[in-house]
Amino acid sequence: MSSPVRPGAACPATPYRLPAFWVVIALLATGAVRMSQILAKFLDSYPIATITALALFALLAVPFWLFVQELDFFEREPAGLLVLAFSWGGLVATSVSIPGSTAVENLIAKLGSPGLAADWGAALAGPTVEEIAKTLGVIAVVLIARSQVNSVLDGVVYGAMVGLGFQIVEDIVFAIGAVALAGQGDQVQPVITTFLVRGFLAGVWSHTLFGALAGAGIGYLVVSTDRGRPRRVATAALALFGAWASHVLWNSPLFREGLGNGAVALLAVLVFKGLPPLVLILMLVRRAHDREAEYYVARLQGLDDPEVITEGELRALGSGSRRAAARRHAAEKAGREARATVRRLQRAQARLAVELSRASEQTDQPHSDVRRHRATLIALGHPEAVEGLRSWRHTASAIGTAAVAIAVLWVALSALGGA
Amino acid sequence: MGTVTRRHLTDLPSTPGLLSALVLVAILAGLCLGLPALDRAVPAQRAIPGGEPYRVGAGVTVVPPAGATLDVTGTRPGEDRATALFRLGAVRYSIAVQPFSGDLPQAAVRLRQRITDTSGYQVTGTQLAVSTAGGLAGLQGGYTAGDRGGRYAVFVAHGLTIEVTVSGADLDLDHTLPAIDASTKTLRYEGGR
Repeated sequence: MSSPVRPGAACPATPYRLPAFWVVIALLATGAVRMSQILAKFLDSYPIATITALALFALLAVPFWLFVQELDFFEREPAGLLVLAFSWGGLVATSVSIPGSTAVENLIAKLGSPGLAADWGAALAGPTVEEIAKTLGVIAVVLIARSQVNSVLDGVVYGAMVGLGFQIVEDIVFAIGAVALAGQGDQVQPVITTFLVRGFLAGVWSHTLFGALAGAGIGYLVVSTDRGRPRRVATAALALFGAWASHVLWNSPLFREGLGNGAVALLAVLVFKGLPPLVLILMLVRRAHDREAEYYVARLQGLDDPEVITEGELRALGSGSRRAAARRHAAEKAGREARATVRRLQRAQARLAVELSRASEQTDQPHSDVRRHRATLIALGHPEAVEGLRSWRHTASAIGTAAVAIAVLWVALSALGGA
Repeated sequence: MGTVTRRHLTDLPSTPGLLSALVLVAILAGLCLGLPALDRAVPAQRAIPGGEPYRVGAGVTVVPPAGATLDVTGTRPGEDRATALFRLGAVRYSIAVQPFSGDLPQAAVRLRQRITDTSGYQVTGTQLAVSTAGGLAGLQGGYTAGDRGGRYAVFVAHGLTIEVTVSGADLDLDHTLPAIDASTKTLRYEGGR
């Protein structure tokens, strides 16, 4: 479902004259007031637990933020819009979802039965309200900065950022809910448990992932103007449905019974309910990334200037893993300075590709940056930023890291399963 | 140097942008105001047969007071944990069952803590021992929140805690507490979780 890049403006347009901008700001302010009221109640009842939850989940947001930000290596999204997307998820989508989800769950109990609500209420109510509220955040970004959504990958990034904001705030609310339920006063232990379960184990396949899928649909809707409107709308709706279905599967009572409460049961839940959407969405993100990279690499290829980019570098620049391999190769051959210079060269090449795609007149600076970094690399004795042969050290390191990750996961599963 | 037009300054013409933003506001309002309004419009209370045990869940049953209705918004049956919410006029009578590994005093401390964690709520009077017709031993006490009063009772049996909370205006409570106390005494663990 990925589509070609539609180059946007060189820099974000000034949004202050857009009425839509002020509508979005008003919504954010309203959400901020509502969530501040909830936070004030938490701080009043459980100050230590609340501050601990804020600190832990704020820390958890950092690696997610960096990962999502890095997804679009070529055309990074403006920080202001990323903050807006995150804030929408954390302030608007959450404050809308709290009453909305409760109402839907009540309606399931009223129109169905309390038993149906007990089994499927959380699986149906939460995803139905939350996925719509989050997707509206990507639409809000489009409304105030259409030129900054020029590929499916941009939709993925904004959608994931909305989902991340939602996930972090929801986790804090759940953590304090666990403190209240424990009935032991202002204790941090329920916060730690919530952090391990919702942040660490369930965090990977949570709102960030669902938001990325729904955002990809909005990206396609906005970018693929060469397709008919019905097809674009249907694709966006399908992506939203996919996010909803993944969320329903994750919240569903399936696999809850019959496997006990041990580590194996938790692992089964993670594998059967979390892994399929995770793999599917990561494949989609990778395809969107590769299609976008292919487009920008083609702009550089057209220069036919080996001082700007060589054939080997063109190949490396088109993939995140090959870019990382080129940096590792530089470090092995010429040290840490060469690694850092390769990173700077790749960034400059990416900036140049984006400027070329915009037919911009502002290509002098990235051109000169590329040549400067090239000169540094030549001086370091490593003139070309290409991948080397796969070394045994890297393979051993990858296997070791995977083994440690599996061991940590197993210990966490055992501890939580036995709890 | 060309002239900078409104089109250059903005990504979308302002009118469609504003209309789209208002549609967005309308959808959000539908989610956070419309759905709760629809929820309020659909009645939550269900009649329950008088004098017959009601299966709360997790193997626990209770005979509700005569004239009580079941509020389905606060009722969630389950295998391991469950809640049931009955209403007698303006009085709430709630039963919550959940796994618990401690003893009765610990369960009582936990429930009292949860009550007093709520802003404005205070536990009043002393705690008394109670028991049910089915042999469950428990503790009960009272609490207050402004012009509203409440009673609580907690029982521990078979790895479960059964928490009973009753709340309402003082006058309403005076009228209904005898019937609710009688109902609480019918709490029974029947197993078969």
